[in-house]
This record gives sequence, structure tokens and C-alpha cells, in this order.
Amino acid sequence: MEPTKAGQRVDLEPLRRVLEERFRPRDYREAQELVVGACQEAQRLFGWVPPEAAQLIAEHLGVTTNRIYGLLTFYADFRTEPPGRHFLWICHGAACYVAGAGRLVEFLQERYGITGQGTTPDGALTVHVFNGCLGVCDLAPVAQLDHHEYVGRLSLERLQALIAELQGEAQTEAADGSTV
Amino acid sequence: MGRLCDRAAFEQYAAQAEQRWETLWSGDRWVISVGISECSIAKGALETYRHLELLLSDGHIPAVLRRVGCAGWCFAEPFVEIKVPGQPPIVYGWVTTDRVPDLLDALRRGELRPEWALGVRAGESWQGIPALRDHPFLRSQRRLLLEQAGIIDPESIDDYIATGGYRAFLKALFEMTPEEVVNEVKTSNLRGRGGAGFPTGIKWESGRRTPAWPKYVVVNSHEGEPNVFKDRRLLETNPHLVLEGLLIGCYALETPHGYNYIGGEHALALRRFQKAVEQAYELGLLGDNILGSGFSCHVRVRTGGGAYICGEGSALMYAIMGQRGQPRTKPPRSVEEGLWKRPTVLNNTETFASIPAIIRNGGSWYAALGTKESTGTKLVTMQGPVRYLGVAEIELGMPMRQLIFEVFGGLRDGYRFKGVQTGGVSAGPLREEELDVPVDFDALTPLGAMLGSGGFVVFDDTVCAVDFARYLVAFSRYESCGKCTPCRLGTPALVEILDRIRHGFGRPEDLDVIQYASKHIIDLSLCGLGQVAPMPLLGMLERFREEFIEHITERRCRAGVCPMTAAAPIAS
Repeated sequence: MEPTKAGQRVDLEPLRRVLEERFRPRDYREAQELVVGACQEAQRLFGWVPPEAAQLIAEHLGVTTNRIYGLLTFYADFRTEPPGRHFLWICHGAACYVAGAGRLVEFLQERYGITGQGTTPDGALTVHVFNGCLGVCDLAPVAQLDHHEYVGRLSLERLQALIAELQGEAQTEAADGSTV
Repeated sequence: MGRLCDRAAFEQYAAQAEQRWETLWSGDRWVISVGISECSIAKGALETYRHLELLLSDGHIPAVLRRVGCAGWCFAEPFVEIKVPGQPPIVYGWVTTDRVPDLLDALRRGELRPEWALGVRAGESWQGIPALRDHPFLRSQRRLLLEQAGIIDPESIDDYIATGGYRAFLKALFEMTPEEVVNEVKTSNLRGRGGAGFPTGIKWESGRRTPAWPKYVVVNSHEGEPNVFKDRRLLETNPHLVLEGLLIGCYALETPHGYNYIGGEHALALRRFQKAVEQAYELGLLGDNILGSGFSCHVRVRTGGGAYICGEGSALMYAIMGQRGQPRTKPPRSVEEGLWKRPTVLNNTETFASIPAIIRNGGSWYAALGTKESTGTKLVTMQGPVRYLGVAEIELGMPMRQLIFEVFGGLRDGYRFKGVQTGGVSAGPLREEELDVPVDFDALTPLGAMLGSGGFVVFDDTVCAVDFARYLVAFSRYESCGKCTPCRLGTPALVEILDRIRHGFGRPEDLDVIQYASKHIIDLSLCGLGQVAPMPLLGMLERFREEFIEHITERRCRAGVCPMTAAAPIAS
């Protein structure tokens, strides 16, 4: 699903349905246990966790929005800002490091000012340096595109080409007006 | 399929499952199994599967197409196992979609394509193809947890039951008291597989002794270290094994509350475990009054969102409770006050997966495996430029040299061994001359190394020791939860010093500052992860001191990795 843009009204209906179907705590303890899972659902639906969604989850599970914000900013996988059109996880596990992922991470920092995570200025691509192991070490250094496709044995040139390709794609999409 | 109401009903169900399993393998149809796990999906296993599906759809080959889990040989993914009637099953590696038609055609003509075969899954070689167990990667392994890996379908409870699954749970439930279960685990001397190596039986016993109720049993499937991927592979390939271990754990603690905490980024492992739980509920192996025994058990799956710290016991419990996953001071230990302030027994995924075999075969049988103090088998992963990259299961006590150069096949051509980083980000490396040390819980510690959760990284001489140390400490800096000062401020300080050295601005006294700052972090940090954060740096410094000094005095990085931007010497 296309990520929701900032400033755009968020349609909470799908989230409300999921919450009512699958997040039905039997007591206050279970309600608290379900908060993180509910936020993950929201992020799956919207691409990030908009404040409205956080508010809805808070009301549904009987916790404060404040608490939810605390969780969203604690866990690295959650986004409190809308992501770009594409999402790239660059694995920064030890296998990838040994195979030269450090250079890729440095490049992102020098070229786009992205440390840890960030979006390219044209909004085409959100890059997240994955601090941990994606577990696909045979393809090191590896990246995961849009949560399903893997790009392996990355060199600096291949990463640059990939980013350029994704930026080009995003531009065409924007020009077509197919989305937004 | 309804809920099974007693033991006899289960036996009957199991007999049927076994028979179906038997028929599958002795029938007159081909059996084609494709390994589908996160690592093989990355290398195109789904495409291979779809291609096979398409080619088989015309019906020329009567075949059963199955999905199985990962078998540990990441280097040969995507793999396909093909059993032609009248032949033993042959495992083929590197079957990308372009090879699929070729392979099927060849097999129909009766050609075996031995050049693509990893081996034949039988006792001995067949038609010139060696037996799988004689493959150099598998020859020295001892597989208990991975015994059925790549053979059964992880999403089928019937496959698991047909190959002996849930018998250990039934044995515990109907033939043993909870105390006997704990004693059996104590006899086995099974030590926690998460890293600390605390004896599981003793933990369970103290959990039993604590009078508060309810109690909780929690599986720690959060794998946040940058160099370990064994738990998710285990969950992807045999989730029911972990679930059975958890059930036995709940029975031993006499509690109906079981949890599994799986990191949200391990999507496939999460999905498959959830599915296993659903299937067990449907069959009546979970829920109220299991098989009429009066014992009830409910398993809940919880996930987090990417924080290494959540692998720490108390942090994990806060994470389950929907709070920021930050550790707390101990005591009280979690077996006294854990989840919801109740006694909680927390063990690693692999620990729970070891339990069924212990109950089935007895604790003393298990204790005979491995060494005296470190019993049993261990899943290990080896990363870096090794030939047979993947997950292996070895008996503890195997020399490190054998592990690297035999099981994992040594380094690929063109790479020269420099060292092996041990214990994730919690310990130091070993050099070539130290490799004869046995891989177990105790032998590595005096060398400043550690078994940890079994993640090793081999590095060659294109990796700079300073830069690698910086990488490992920077990981801890990034993942520091920020609760206690020594870790929150200490790890950035170490990274800063290392960055200075990397850029050629290092000062001779920096090495002393590193020692001094590290001591503070080690002594004063709140949780285990903070206390070991400087260990990789201290280990690197001890093993490769000359490289650090070279960086500082000569401004030279022999691996050519560090930026070295310093122009003029700094006045001291």
C-alpha cells in the first residue's frame, strides 16, 4: 500500500477494523501486551504510525498516547514520519561488515546525510541501516528492498545504480500522477 | 479435524500421520521438496518453487511438490530434494529457476546430474553420488535439533507428529511428574543456549520453588546480535519443536502461561511459529485440559520492533508488558519477580528445542554428548568468507580449528585467515594460533573469547582490527537503551576515541584511556549487555595491539580501510 503522506488525512477505518477483529484483550495486562503489535499493524497499513493512528490505538487499548509515542521512539523499526516511496534496509550485520558494508553506510552518510535512517531529499527512498543481521549472510553485503526483495553482493557502484533506479522510478510515478 | 480428547485418540491420529508419511515416501509418485526459508527466498527459492509447480502442472510427472524448511546449508540455496520412485531422495543445491527444466528433464531421462547434487539422503552413496551425511559440511555435525530440518514441512503439524513429534510432551504429561521432568533436565546438565550458559534445570527448579502464582514460561526468540541467525532458522524450519519444548517447560512449572517473544523483523519465523500454535490449538495439544490430562496451557506470541536490548531478560519482559524494553537492577531475579512481577522462567529458543530429546531419551543420554561441563549439541553460525556458510549443529567441545576449516570448509580462495570474532558483540576474537581451543561454555572464557549464542565471524586481512573494533562498539553504542550512564556515555566515548585513531589523530595515551573507560563501563553498567560492550574492543586491542600502534604512530592502516585524514602530527 502507498505510504500515507504528511498533512494528508489518514483513513483510520482499516486500522479500526483490524483492531476490532484481532486486538481484543481480556484484561488490562493483555491490553498492554498488545500495544506494540497494534503499532506494527498501523505501520503495515500506513507505512508509518501517524499520530491519529496512535490516538486510536491508545483509545482502543486503554493506554495513553504518550506511552505509545515512548514505544515508537524506542524501537528502531517504527517510523513517526512518513517514509519515501521505496524502503531499503541495508544490513549492517557482521557478515556484511566483513564483506565491506561499512563503505556503503559511509557513502549514504556522505552523499545523503543519512545516519541510521533517513529519506533522500526527493522523497524517493527511505534507507534504514539495519543494526542487526538480516540472516542472509551468503549474499553479504545485502539489502532488502520494500520488505520482500533482496539485493545481494552489493558494491558501492551497485548501490548507487540501485538508488538511481529507484529515484528514476519514483519520478516517473510522480509525473504520471498515478498516486498522490 | 477436531480436538483430540485423550492419549489414545492422539496415538490413533499419530498412527495415521505416520502411515501417510510412509505412503508419501514409498509411493509411486515423485516427491519434490523445496527449501523455503528467509535465506533461500532471498536467493530465489520461491521462483524455483513456482517454476516447478508450473512444469509439473501438465501432469507428465506424477509428483508431490512440498515446501520444507532450511537445512542449514545457506551456501547451496536454493535447494531441492527430489525422490524418484525406486531411488533414494537426492538433494540438489543451487537450483535456480534456469536450472529447473534441465534438472527435471535429466531426471526423467534417468540422468542424475551428480554435478549439482549435494548428496543422497540415504545411508550410503548411490550411483556415484555420495551420501549426504558424508558431505564435508555435515560429516562432523551431530544433528539433534536440525535432525528433521529440510525434511519435514514446518507448516505441517502432521509431518512433525509423523516423525516422532509431541511424544516427549506426552511422555512428560502422562508418565512423569513435573519434579521428574525438572530432574531429568537437571541430569542432562543442559545449559542455557542464549549466551550465559546457566544450567536450565536449576533455573526451572528455583522457578518451581518460588511460591507466587501465576508463573510464566517465556521463550526468548529475540535475536538482535549482528552475527547470529540460528534461532530464526530453527523457528523457520521446525517451529513445533520449540513449541513442544515450551509445553514441557510449562508442565514442569505447572503453569498454563507460555510466551514466545520473537523480534518483529523475523517475519517468516514469526508467521511459522504462530501457525504452529494455531495448529496445536486445533488438535488439542494446546488449550484447556490437554488430552484429558487436566493440564492446561496457553501460548501467546509477542513481538518487538528492533532493539538488541530486548534480548536481555528483564528488558524482554518489559517489552512483553508493552513498555520500553529497558533492563532493571537485579535482584530480584526474574525467576522470583519477572513478567507482571510473577516468577518467570526465561530460556533461549534453542534451549527449549533441546528439551524434547532430553525427555524422550533421558537426561543421562544427553549428558553423554559434548563435554562433561558443556553437554549436548549447539547450533553455530559462521559468517565471513568461509566456503560452507550456514547453520551447523555440533557437539560441544569440537576444536575451533575443526569447526572453521572442516565443518565450514575453511576460507574461500583468495582470502587469508586473520582471526575469528566470538560471542557476538560480547567478547573478543581469536587468532590463528589459538584455534585449538574447544568450542564450549568454559574453555573460551580464559582467552577473552566466548561461546555466547554461537555466532562466529571469520575475518581476513582486508579487515582492519581497529575498524572492526569500532564497528562492534558502535553497534553497542547504537543499541544502548540509555538507561544507565556508563553505557550511554561510555560507549560513544570509546567510538570517539576509535574514530580519532582511524582518522590518524590517535595519541599514544589513547590506548590507556580505552582500558580505563572500558573498566568503568564493565564495572558500572546496569545490565549484562552494557557490562560486555567494551569486550570486543579489549579483545581486539589485546590480539592486534600492533595494528592499533601502527595507526597511532605511523598513521598507517595495513588493511587500507581506515580514512587516515590527519595531515600534520599533533603536538603532545
